Amino acid sequence: MSRDAERILDEAVRAAGDRIRAALAMRFRDLDLAEEAFAFASLRAMETWSRDGPPRDPAAWLYSVGRRRAFDLGRRAQVRNTAVLDEPAPQPDPETLLIAAFEPIPDERLRLIFVCCHPALAPEARIALTLRTLCGLSVERIARAWLTSEVAMTQRLTRAKRKLRETAVRFEIPAPDAWGERLETVLATLEIAYAQAYEDAALASDAADLAAETLRLTGLLANLLPDEPEVLGLAALVRLTEARRPARIDAAGAMIPLSEQDVGAWDRRLIREAAAHMRRAAELGHSGPYQLMAAIHATHAARMETGVTAWGDVVQLYDMLLSVRPSVVAQVNRAVALGEAETPEAGLAALAALGDEPRLLTWLPYQAARAGLFAKAGRDAEAAEALRAALQLQPAPAERLFLAGRLGALSR
Amino acid sequence: MQYLLMIYSDESLYAPETKTDPAVLQEITAGHMRLGAELHEKGAWVGGDRLKPSDTATTVRTLGGVQSLHDGPYAETREQLAGYYVVEAPDLDAAIGWAKKIPGGPNYAVEVRPIHMM
Repeated sequence: MSRDAERILDEAVRAAGDRIRAALAMRFRDLDLAEEAFAFASLRAMETWSRDGPPRDPAAWLYSVGRRRAFDLGRRAQVRNTAVLDEPAPQPDPETLLIAAFEPIPDERLRLIFVCCHPALAPEARIALTLRTLCGLSVERIARAWLTSEVAMTQRLTRAKRKLRETAVRFEIPAPDAWGERLETVLATLEIAYAQAYEDAALASDAADLAAETLRLTGLLANLLPDEPEVLGLAALVRLTEARRPARIDAAGAMIPLSEQDVGAWDRRLIREAAAHMRRAAELGHSGPYQLMAAIHATHAARMETGVTAWGDVVQLYDMLLSVRPSVVAQVNRAVALGEAETPEAGLAALAALGDEPRLLTWLPYQAARAGLFAKAGRDAEAAEALRAALQLQPAPAERLFLAGRLGALSR
Repeated sequence: MQYLLMIYSDESLYAPETKTDPAVLQEITAGHMRLGAELHEKGAWVGGDRLKPSDTATTVRTLGGVQSLHDGPYAETREQLAGYYVVEAPDLDAAIGWAKKIPGGPNYAVEVRPIHMM
């Protein structure tokens, strides 16, 4: 019976946990209270459901018990703060609560996303708070992904929650005049969270959960805001890159570059989902960086059908991206694409045009791109030099294996 | 002439985690009460408040005319304190909205810090 209760609880949390947590947080305007109340409800569920069997609607049960708990905790805090020494009313048995009609669980997830990604919070705090509050990821798991200790991550979260409380951040959808900026912050937060999950995939075998959560969050946001083209663009972008996860690492654990990946291993379902998001975004008729990045990855994904990559299109899309969101990352990627679309020399010239600042020379993707272009141009000595420079820059294990492999092939 | 008297102190003294001897804190509070009373009495009182800790601060930075938000207090030393506003706002976003309207040339910063309401 208890195994059964555990399974049903797991299912309910997976299906509705984020909704319940969000509803509690919004109802009480307090993230700590919501977290504590939800934890209590889960614990109570295990005890009660093991004994009496699961309720008809486990999610509603969790919400209802959590809400009651939050009321009590809130009242206790109030008693502490105002030093009113009234005896709190005895807590009704959760079972009796269930006789009362269930209130449907309101969907407050969008409002909660905006609160967790408030621009007055530090970017890393936004990500941690979003993953903790909306996805229910453990502090330990989040700390591991961001290479910090659980204690440090707990402090970061505590501070962020205190700031929200102490500065009176409103738990509301942003006003129209702030909408654009606030939405941008949300998208940037999810983008960084996904980038971390993506990096992590090469490092740790258990990173899939983190990627799955960011995938889910971007999908959720796309469902909640179906008329925001950049939201759809981000949802498409993470799907397209995530679709390639199974093809990114070879049996020996070495990274496989995009152009050499086995397209048969790409996740077609995710690519189809991305295409649907992109079609919808295009209908809305406002381009933006996330849609452009998604279009670049969609051009790569098309190799699955056509067998070739339209590198000229990739270069053009990078040009458009650079005009709305300039970055060195996009510059380097554009140079690589140019090396494919035209000649390796053209790519090298584009890289050279970036100058040779020390910052660039000690940046791994830059050296890796140079190495690839030199090798393609048949300039082996320079390729080997760039590979050695890249290997000095502490690549992740999968990338180190790949770079070392290339260097070995050159010296043969 | 009016003067701004700014108090700089180690705020950990006031943090509950520090468990500062309550007698010390009471003495500081009493001192502020005495000073406030004396300022009122002499007709020197204009205003004054206790601020919430610096980790509740948000800084609106303007660089080359572009504004961005940063979590935390103003921490650089290139600029000097030049003025202040006290505003009533329903929430942080509204307060930040006012802060963004404060002029100051191409490069400057405005720290938004909630006032500790007694």
